[in-house]
Amino acid sequence: MHRKVRRKSSASGAVSFNMTPMIDCVFQLIIFFVLTSQFIQLQIEQVTLPLSFAAKPKDVSEYLNVVINLVDEDDPKCMVLGQQVDYRVIEGDNELSRLLKDRKQDAGEGKPLNVILRADALIPYEAVASVMLAAGRAEIEGWWITTEIKDMDEVLKD
Amino acid sequence: MTPMIDIVFLLLIFFLLSPSDDPGQAYLTTNLPNLGQSGLPGDDIYLAVEIELQVPEANTRDVVIVLKDGRCFGRNFEGLMAALADMRARGLPADHPVLIRPWMACRHQWVVRAFDTAVAARFENVHFAVPYL
Repeated sequence: MHRKVRRKSSASGAVSFNMTPMIDCVFQLIIFFVLTSQFIQLQIEQVTLPLSFAAKPKDVSEYLNVVINLVDEDDPKCMVLGQQVDYRVIEGDNELSRLLKDRKQDAGEGKPLNVILRADALIPYEAVASVMLAAGRAEIEGWWITTEIKDMDEVLKD
Repeated sequence: MTPMIDIVFLLLIFFLLSPSDDPGQAYLTTNLPNLGQSGLPGDDIYLAVEIELQVPEANTRDVVIVLKDGRCFGRNFEGLMAALADMRARGLPADHPVLIRPWMACRHQWVVRAFDTAVAARFENVHFAVPYL
């Protein structure tokens, strides 16, 4: 059984292909992969950030960062790249400090790595200090605290 | 018309989905002590202006601000800012260390507020005490 293939042909009889659907599909795929990779790089969890009037906006993408999320004020959990990581203080390295050491090694010698902390406003300091200690053990010095920026009057009234 | 509609849809999808930097989000930056070395703070930290953030009662979200010299500000960060600004006016340099020492149960928002207040009083060398050291 033969299928008839329709081809557009010009008056001269030459065969031509319509490229538009293929270009559409390629664009769609490019946009999909660009956007998904950007979302992965954000590494963020939903948290209520503390208010600040002295914090400065920065372009995070210009630096080498590890984003550490601290969520749930009643039972604080540490989330890195969507995975829960054990950050409790123990003798020697814990899971978080090992992860940070690996990231620092991957970054290479002499390249500064920052920790960006995204902690819920009501998280107890104990959890933040434990993360600080893990970052200190990994010899990471850059410590950025993510905040929501507001006017001074608004913050002080809160 | 089909190609034009396709391109318009693509542009719409791109601008709707592309994650933009939240203009209301910003960062407070400081350096952590390098525990790979001695694990001990430098001598200058003993001269630091110390801001202790106490928790008045267990399981409370409140805070009480106490300076090392014993002055207590309750939850009044404006009072703390005035005291820090006064220290600067009396000749304490901008790079003089300021150490924020929160209690374990102190909420993160108060720690950030204390950092904010020290920066607003034009101190540039602000650190956090890590109690496990």
